[in-house]
Amino acid sequence: MSSSVTNVAAHTVASETSPRASRKTLSDLSVMIGGQGGDGTLTVSDLLGRYFRKLGLYVYTSRNVLSRIRGGHADASVRASDHPTSSVKPQVDVLLAFDQEAAELGSKELGPEGVIIYDSSVFSTSLPNSYGFPFATLVGGQVGQPIYKNAAAYGAVSVLLGFDESLTRQVIEERFQRRGAEALQKNLKALEIGRQAASGVPEVPQHWSVRPGEAHDQILSIGNQAVALGFVVGGGRFFSGYPITPATEIMEYLQRYLQPFHGVVRQAEDELAAINNVLGAAYAGARAMTSTSGPGLSLMTEGIGQAGAAELPIVIADCQRVGPSTGEPTRHEQSDLAHLAHLGHGEYPRFIIAPGTVLECFEMTVQALNLAEKWRLPVILLLDQALCQNTVTSPPFEISKVRVERGPILTGEDLAKMAEYKVYKSTETGVSPYALPGTPGVWAEVTGNEHDEWGHVSVAVPNRVAMMQKRMGKMTKAEPDLPKGKFFGPPDAKIGIIGFGSTTGPIWEAQELLSGKHIATRFYQPRTLYPILVSEADAFLKSVDVCYVVEHNFTGQFANLLREAVPWHYAKLKPVLKYDGHSFRSPEIVHAISGGA
Amino acid sequence: MVQSAKPVQPIWCPGCGDFGVLAAVKKAANELKIPPYQLALVGGIGCSGSIHNFLEVNGIHALHGRLLAQAVGVKLANPQLTVVAAGGDGDGYAIGMGHFIHAFKHNVSLVYLVMNNETYGLTKGQASPTSQIGFEGNIEHPFDSILTSLSIPVPNFIARTFSGDPKTMTAILIEALKFTQDHRGFAFIEDLSPCVTYNDTYKLWREKVQDVSKLDGYDPTDRQVMFRLCQETREKGKIPVGVMHRPSDEEKDEIGLEKALLPDDLGPARVDLSIDANLANYTKLIRSVT
Repeated sequence: MSSSVTNVAAHTVASETSPRASRKTLSDLSVMIGGQGGDGTLTVSDLLGRYFRKLGLYVYTSRNVLSRIRGGHADASVRASDHPTSSVKPQVDVLLAFDQEAAELGSKELGPEGVIIYDSSVFSTSLPNSYGFPFATLVGGQVGQPIYKNAAAYGAVSVLLGFDESLTRQVIEERFQRRGAEALQKNLKALEIGRQAASGVPEVPQHWSVRPGEAHDQILSIGNQAVALGFVVGGGRFFSGYPITPATEIMEYLQRYLQPFHGVVRQAEDELAAINNVLGAAYAGARAMTSTSGPGLSLMTEGIGQAGAAELPIVIADCQRVGPSTGEPTRHEQSDLAHLAHLGHGEYPRFIIAPGTVLECFEMTVQALNLAEKWRLPVILLLDQALCQNTVTSPPFEISKVRVERGPILTGEDLAKMAEYKVYKSTETGVSPYALPGTPGVWAEVTGNEHDEWGHVSVAVPNRVAMMQKRMGKMTKAEPDLPKGKFFGPPDAKIGIIGFGSTTGPIWEAQELLSGKHIATRFYQPRTLYPILVSEADAFLKSVDVCYVVEHNFTGQFANLLREAVPWHYAKLKPVLKYDGHSFRSPEIVHAISGGA
Repeated sequence: MVQSAKPVQPIWCPGCGDFGVLAAVKKAANELKIPPYQLALVGGIGCSGSIHNFLEVNGIHALHGRLLAQAVGVKLANPQLTVVAAGGDGDGYAIGMGHFIHAFKHNVSLVYLVMNNETYGLTKGQASPTSQIGFEGNIEHPFDSILTSLSIPVPNFIARTFSGDPKTMTAILIEALKFTQDHRGFAFIEDLSPCVTYNDTYKLWREKVQDVSKLDGYDPTDRQVMFRLCQETREKGKIPVGVMHRPSDEEKDEIGLEKALLPDDLGPARVDLSIDANLANYTKLIRSVT
């Protein structure tokens, strides 16, 4: 992958030099921060992200942490660019290391011109282009608590990168205001310590400057926050979940957001309770959702099956992480898809839809709620760790585009005109109009047992056949209603790429890099993963000679679903797979497609 | 008038204790004038859990062991419904034990009715968590739900009834329903409901039941007293029945979780979801993300 990496560096470092400051202007910059858990790596990454965001740049931050509160190696990286980006930069420009391990691990990702800044009160290193400052000792002495060393390190980086002084300070003020005056003052003091330390050392190469960008209309968010906001605005009013990485933030945001809307957020006793709380709420007529990750999803499987059989509209947001079993809670993977497509015992309809950006997380959560109620079945919103937790600049979420579509709900007025209310009434679409429990004058039986139109338990043969056809028929009848895929790159390109979820970011970047090598590609981002939209997938695969299916799992789960749905394209599909816990870097995709050419 | 689902004939064996419960639920709903559309009955899996099919009621048949979790969802989504969860001892104390314990802690205002027959009837008579030592080769100690529930310090309503005494049972059920309708929290009733086919205990239980209210020092507002009375009754080879706990005067201000979360009873299922109705708050919320 070495040749492509060099290309990326050449592509991203602008050649122009500002004579006044003797600084090279970076149009695409990556800062990596590493240390022990508890060193504050995520804080520094957050501060830098906020600074770049204020500067009008596009920002993408990623985290690499362990499933523990303190200790163990943790790092984060911040990318700032003058063009939209939603992937990790393949090479690091500035490495901030709080300990030796961070310096050694990080230096492997450092570009040829990269610089290391490290805490010399903890260790020393002879790595090239490295500059040590005793952050912990300086801050410990002057502020009293070495824990504020992260603000000092942020200060040192701000000098190296020629940050605007007042904007640098403003970021600290905004970040720590909530923590009270004392914490804010200590952070500001530590910031100054770091700034002075770096300014006072003339040999620190003042290489680069970061030019303000034009992306001032952007917001900074994560997929989990976008899902929470989409849920509220989409009319979601009942949430029950159980803490699990990397899904927990959805519940935490909703605990903050939902209360003024007569909503309920429950932290249940386990995932079994969470999914069953949601089933009860959906039965009562609330727009209801839970969120979880692999292990929780396994526990919820029985409940999701009941939603399919009893025709209860629920949404399950699955924030995929490394499996199987407990796997790697904080790491990235897309390996729940095959399980979800075949979820549970018996057969029932379900939709799996997958946003690829933070904005789509917002929009498609609304869509998931609409689909669930319009078709009265479980909808899985398929996410992944990188999409859920990496902070990224995004176009603002627009309320004006949101539509709340509830499907056929019977009011007292509707019912007054009817002779009978059958909760599982057979209809053209397979969807039975529903009267919320509590609607005067009517009641019904809702059950996961096989049942007749009234909801009474039935094993009668013609009824069984009719009910199976009613439920399963939704899968094909709903097709026009399901999220369409998106296409990127020249329509006449003969090399196809397919990827979903957060792989969209690295694929876009790989397309750019390939186009620099005169390799044209067409990228199909399916947004309904199950059922496969056959006409859409077929037309795309017909248009290309070969198609790389990029996904984070061992077996090529989406490629396999495609092979099942459009078997005549079997030979065209080339899986590009990664299952090491880290998200794709664009050169890896470039290499898979161009073979390093 | 629009026709809703009509009750079907019970699947229970003639003489099943669950008939007593069915009659009591009908009488109590009638007495409290709860119309069928305002009553939601969440049934468990097992003979007893099918009770919702035999009533004019909003019925939902939950998964095995999950009826309480679903009932909590129903009540929190629409606090104006009167919610009853009804199932058996296997459903509640084996597969559903986690939710059972937490239900006292959640303190959502719903009635949980366990029809305890000390066996798994529907799967033909295996030992259940409440089976006596020796029943079907059972060598495990039986579980006592009343002692457990008395140990959880939340002002719930707790009682044990006997299907052989339908009058007392109906009176206690009415008290429990009122308790939840007043949003005072969780009400638990264990009904001793014999399985005439696999564990016919009518005669035995009729001899053994001991009305706790007749005991010296009976005070259902004092958990310690009730715990001791129940234990002493058990030690005498008797089964304590009656109201085991109701909140004391000092605890009368306690409210159910649904009331704490939704003070005006307007829950997630009833609130206006239109964009127009919420636009000002939505805009404020979306703008908070920068």
